[in-house]
Amino acid sequence: MASIAPRRRTGASRERTSTHEGFLAHRDFRWLKISAALAVLLIALYIWVPLPAGHFGSSWLGYTLGTIGALLILWLTMLGVRKRAITPGRWSLKAWTSAHVYLGMLLIVVGTLHSGFAFGWNVHTLAWALMMLVIVSGMFGIWVYASLPRALSENRYDAEGAITEKQMVEAIRSLDRQIHDAAQPLDAESAALVNRSLEEDPFAGTFWNRLTGRYPRDATRTAAAELRQRRAFLPRRADDPLDKVDALLTRKEAMLSRMRRHLKLKTWLQAWLHVHVPVTFALIAALSAHVVAVFFYW
Amino acid sequence: MTFQVRQIALKSNGEEIVRPTTVEGDELLIGRDSACAVHLPDLAVDPRHARAMLRGDGTLLVESLGEQPFEADGRSTTRRTVDLAVGAELGFGGHRIAVSRDGESGAAVLTVRRVEAVSESAEDIDLGTAFTLKGLLPGKRSSAWAFAALMLLAFLVAPIWSYATYQPLAMQKDARRPAGVHGDTAWSSGKLSLAHHNLENDCQACHTKAFVAVTDNACLTCHKEDAHSHIPDGARLLRARGEPQGVARFTQAVATAFNRPQGRCAGCHTEHEGAGAMPATRQQFCTDCHDGLRTRLPDSKLDDAADFGTAHPQFRPSLIAAVAPGGKPVFAQVRWAPGLKEANGLKFTHAQHLSHSNGVAQMVRRRPGRFAADDALGCQDCHKAEAGGARFKPVVMEEACESCHSLTFDEVGGTFRTLRHGEPEQVVADLRAFYRGGAPARPATLSGLGRRIPGDAARAASAADYARAVHFYPVRGDQAVAEVFGQGGMCADCHVITRGGGAATNGFAVQPVAQNTRYYHVGWFDHADHRKSDCATCHTAAKSSNDARDLLVPGLDGPGGCRSCHVGENGAKLTSAHVTDPVKSDCAMCHAYHMDADGPTGGKPWKPAEQRKSQGIVATAEANRPRRVALAR
Repeated sequence: MASIAPRRRTGASRERTSTHEGFLAHRDFRWLKISAALAVLLIALYIWVPLPAGHFGSSWLGYTLGTIGALLILWLTMLGVRKRAITPGRWSLKAWTSAHVYLGMLLIVVGTLHSGFAFGWNVHTLAWALMMLVIVSGMFGIWVYASLPRALSENRYDAEGAITEKQMVEAIRSLDRQIHDAAQPLDAESAALVNRSLEEDPFAGTFWNRLTGRYPRDATRTAAAELRQRRAFLPRRADDPLDKVDALLTRKEAMLSRMRRHLKLKTWLQAWLHVHVPVTFALIAALSAHVVAVFFYW
Repeated sequence: MTFQVRQIALKSNGEEIVRPTTVEGDELLIGRDSACAVHLPDLAVDPRHARAMLRGDGTLLVESLGEQPFEADGRSTTRRTVDLAVGAELGFGGHRIAVSRDGESGAAVLTVRRVEAVSESAEDIDLGTAFTLKGLLPGKRSSAWAFAALMLLAFLVAPIWSYATYQPLAMQKDARRPAGVHGDTAWSSGKLSLAHHNLENDCQACHTKAFVAVTDNACLTCHKEDAHSHIPDGARLLRARGEPQGVARFTQAVATAFNRPQGRCAGCHTEHEGAGAMPATRQQFCTDCHDGLRTRLPDSKLDDAADFGTAHPQFRPSLIAAVAPGGKPVFAQVRWAPGLKEANGLKFTHAQHLSHSNGVAQMVRRRPGRFAADDALGCQDCHKAEAGGARFKPVVMEEACESCHSLTFDEVGGTFRTLRHGEPEQVVADLRAFYRGGAPARPATLSGLGRRIPGDAARAASAADYARAVHFYPVRGDQAVAEVFGQGGMCADCHVITRGGGAATNGFAVQPVAQNTRYYHVGWFDHADHRKSDCATCHTAAKSSNDARDLLVPGLDGPGGCRSCHVGENGAKLTSAHVTDPVKSDCAMCHAYHMDADGPTGGKPWKPAEQRKSQGIVATAEANRPRRVALAR
């Protein structure tokens, strides 16, 4: 922040002040305040402005709210275009995103008041429902953006420092090579077990596996478990190749679970957009149908 | 015989390195074990997987040592004979062994090559997408297109298709679409009102043309009988409304710009607002024109009217100004005021008849069970409601008055003879006939023929009796007629008698009588809706009026006036005055828009069904009203 006086770098204080201000708190919550004020204003209008025939989408207030809502939806959609052009200044992408978030939540008030609470099984309520779905998925997105990146960082750090996605893959490749070599002396059945771990794609799994982080039929874990079971009945001897394979499989399992935790967090960070964006376009289509329907059967 | 084993490895730049070895003998082993001549460092291969044996006929027999099979020319097997001249390809795990014969030495050549990576993770992994959801979820772009297309297809194309298919059914009263799903019903913004319920599946019944607001003609296709114009001149109606101002002007401009004309049926009769009865028309619809109407239509005969509680003009009842000789009343509309008189031709004393302490009350007490109450007459003893209860029938003399005001003049063997009410000529004729032969007979004792008894006492008594009989039985009918019609006679009790009659009535004439059954013709007053109130609540003067000409119908204000309870649509009157039992009353409570007094309902305003059922309880206040004691009981 500009207001903080620059300290002389004397070394007396190592305290660092973060100047980062996220899109939620942008300009001291400017867009939150604007949206809240507009919401209060609209609710007051809805309650106190006399309408000749009660509350319905077809009152003058209803048409006004509907027009505002439709334009707002189109503008909010433009974030998808805007975010691909990063510019600084007053209309920075951060400012735009902040407005997107808070005006998007204002849309709950605009759209619902526009409906006059007259819901039914029709294209009009469908458009409202899709709008709510988009807004709720967006709110969920904000929540995961605010809470998950910290967990993502923590998962990547260990005693040796941070690990990148590329390094995760390289680590697994390296372990696979070592397991392959270590398993050469094994008998046919044990080798087949170990081979199953090697032949498993570390990125395999359904969307559900990624979302939950659970991989119930994981070959590495199965191989390690079965090898241990087999070994339990064999006599102990020094330089047993199984010992080495077991240690390597355990390390691979740890690395895999770390990468899968990473995948899980990334999935949660990304999945909401797979609802938010396609439903937005479904909403725009339903909204068009809604508007055409109103004028078609005028 | 020898084997040549050529192990091929790949350099990082893709170049091949060939390591040839020669194995003497006609047999070698293939396996993961490093002791095997063909050593395959492959976990999918058994330590001693298979044996290859050269045979004299130039063939090579390959067979598994255990149960683990291998691939030969793409097929899984445990034993295979290969013609070296033809060659073959063997597969062990991730390795492939090409079998051929060396052209010069004739030795069997086994070319070994690793074709699969050590592990799956060693394969090429696109780091740009591996950590994303690509391939796990449908793409955002493709699903956006798919959803949008689905929406447009289901909710735009399908409805327009239904519209286009059934458009010819529009403007036909009984045309209905077949049952089933029609795309445009998805456009319905809400259930239709109960009256239009059967049109739920027939959008085209009202929405006859695309992008054209519902027209009056569409409504009139069915509503031929029951949708009269408020006034015939539509242009005058618009002038009465005047140019809208402010926000209304703007909204009208917008509506016009969007092809939504003013003054349509559907402007007031809004639909798709839920499956109930249509809501009653709001007061503002009336006051838009009638509030300040005179300033916009100076030639109007109507007074300005707005909220009933504060801005309704005084009532103008139709009163009987005179009764024509044939009995037909001549009405005149007069602005209501206290003390108005009505020339109905009757004499009647409401106060006297309703008294609890005079001869009338005494007569009632002596005939218990004969009247509604046992201590005095009540209104209902004479005034009977019409069917439906809105108004009262004219009072009929024979039913209401005659039980006391008897017209009996003779008794023959227990049967009473009565004079005919309403027919003065018959009355006179009956009396004359009665007296023609009915004179008292002269007693024989007075004619000298009687047997004498000593003294004059008996004769004097007979003479006195005869004289009294003669006195009380007029010898001439004309005298009786004069007594009946004259002052104190039974006719003059209730009627105004003049001397303008002809010979048939001996010169007497009864002034014609008319009764007014409806005073307010423009508004609708329904007695049935007021059953819970006593008559005297509104007809306050009945207890004190002794003149039949007094107008006992209440007006707008004053004791018993309508505003004693009715306070306007939103109770505007309450701000300036105290009302004990306020009843909210908008225009539609008394006035109908489409109907007038000549219509089939006589101007009865339309009411929502739930109010119709409750038979008159239109406001909560009435139900709790303390019952007033019936007429000064």
